[in-house]
Amino acid sequence: MKHEIYFTLNHEKILHEVKANKTLLQMLREDFDLTGAKEGCGQGECGACTVLLNGKPINSCLVLAVEVDGKEITTIEGLSEGINLDELQKSFITNGALQCGYCTPGMIMTAKGFLNANPTPTLEEIKVAISGNLCRCTGYKRIIEAIIEVAEENQSKD
Amino acid sequence: MKGFKYYKPQSLKEASELLKEYNGEAHILNGGTDLIIRMKENFLHPKAVVDIKHIPGLHAITFDKEDGLRIGACLSLGTIAHHRDVVENFPIIADSAEVVGSGQIRNRATLVGNICNASPLADTATPLLALDAEVIIYSPNGTKLISIHHFFKGVRKNCLNVGEIVTGIKIPYSKNLKGAFKKGSRRQDVDLSTVCTSVVKINDEIRIALGAVAPTPIRGKMAEAFAKGKNLTHETITEIAKIAVAEASPIDDVRSSKEYRLHMVEVLVTRSLEELKV
Repeated sequence: MKHEIYFTLNHEKILHEVKANKTLLQMLREDFDLTGAKEGCGQGECGACTVLLNGKPINSCLVLAVEVDGKEITTIEGLSEGINLDELQKSFITNGALQCGYCTPGMIMTAKGFLNANPTPTLEEIKVAISGNLCRCTGYKRIIEAIIEVAEENQSKD
Repeated sequence: MKGFKYYKPQSLKEASELLKEYNGEAHILNGGTDLIIRMKENFLHPKAVVDIKHIPGLHAITFDKEDGLRIGACLSLGTIAHHRDVVENFPIIADSAEVVGSGQIRNRATLVGNICNASPLADTATPLLALDAEVIIYSPNGTKLISIHHFFKGVRKNCLNVGEIVTGIKIPYSKNLKGAFKKGSRRQDVDLSTVCTSVVKINDEIRIALGAVAPTPIRGKMAEAFAKGKNLTHETITEIAKIAVAEASPIDDVRSSKEYRLHMVEVLVTRSLEELKV
């Protein structure tokens, strides 16, 4: 049986039908071609599937699609406006904060949700915040630098 | 994931009736961070899933000194860990909520879900045991309060009957509460506890709760009895920790050997008492 859900996806109101046993991640990738969020472990360990649910980072592999009825979902595709990238996306590029790129959408969405809640974090807070996102290439150094750069920009805006 | 019927009841009565209708073949869905994994991996394949997050009244935290702290079933661990009433009056609860999984997990997972799973290593179970918390349960015959000491029945077994729903946790307030939550794990973040402990001091009373060292989280009653009326000197602390070790009955598993777990109990209880004595 399919369920009708009404939710906001990347700032757009969506009415959609979905089966109960489909995860949010499957729905985003298969029904909406939003392939930024990735399945890594499928168990909430790696964070590659991270998207924002009502502004907070969550593992989309551990949420049923039917559960987002009435909610707001933002994926990496919803961060940029046309060709204008979000400041975090720009910072990841200028800092070279990626190699294979598989973890990057999840890493950026985690950082986005984190910086929304805590715009000027300490280094230690950043490390803890991204501890649910595994990167097997970079050793995290440049990822952390990219996030620090945005945090410092936030600080200078204060 | 196999197919199932999804229900989104709007009241506890409706949810309870659904659970009874399926007679044990329906599962409550709250944060889902354990349930969905277990369904994906085919450990569980319920015929129906009953999502309780739309039931009014399960999302509140209330606190006053008479009634204590009440945490609603659907509050996320992230919300609990940073809630002012929790941080100010029950920091040990906040500390234990803050170490479950990752930030993403804590934005979904709930304290009540952590308890209902009845895992021996549930991080939030030991502070609740140490604080003599009560579990608030909706049953078709009315609401009942059950001591946390009677809630866990074994590995992944709780005392709920079909149709019963945990609606919250109630924790009594103590003015002079000092507590220490400790977690030993293979890595600092996003890991299950190898051993976890909660030690609290309320006036002169010491209470010790241990996780991941028995089929359920346990209280170290003999160690507590030994501590009664004693000054926490270095020698006394060493003795208390040794007695706590004797009360633990851990197993070997992928995370640790039994011997290492016993040693961790001694280390974590000692460190906690050293912190609390000042």
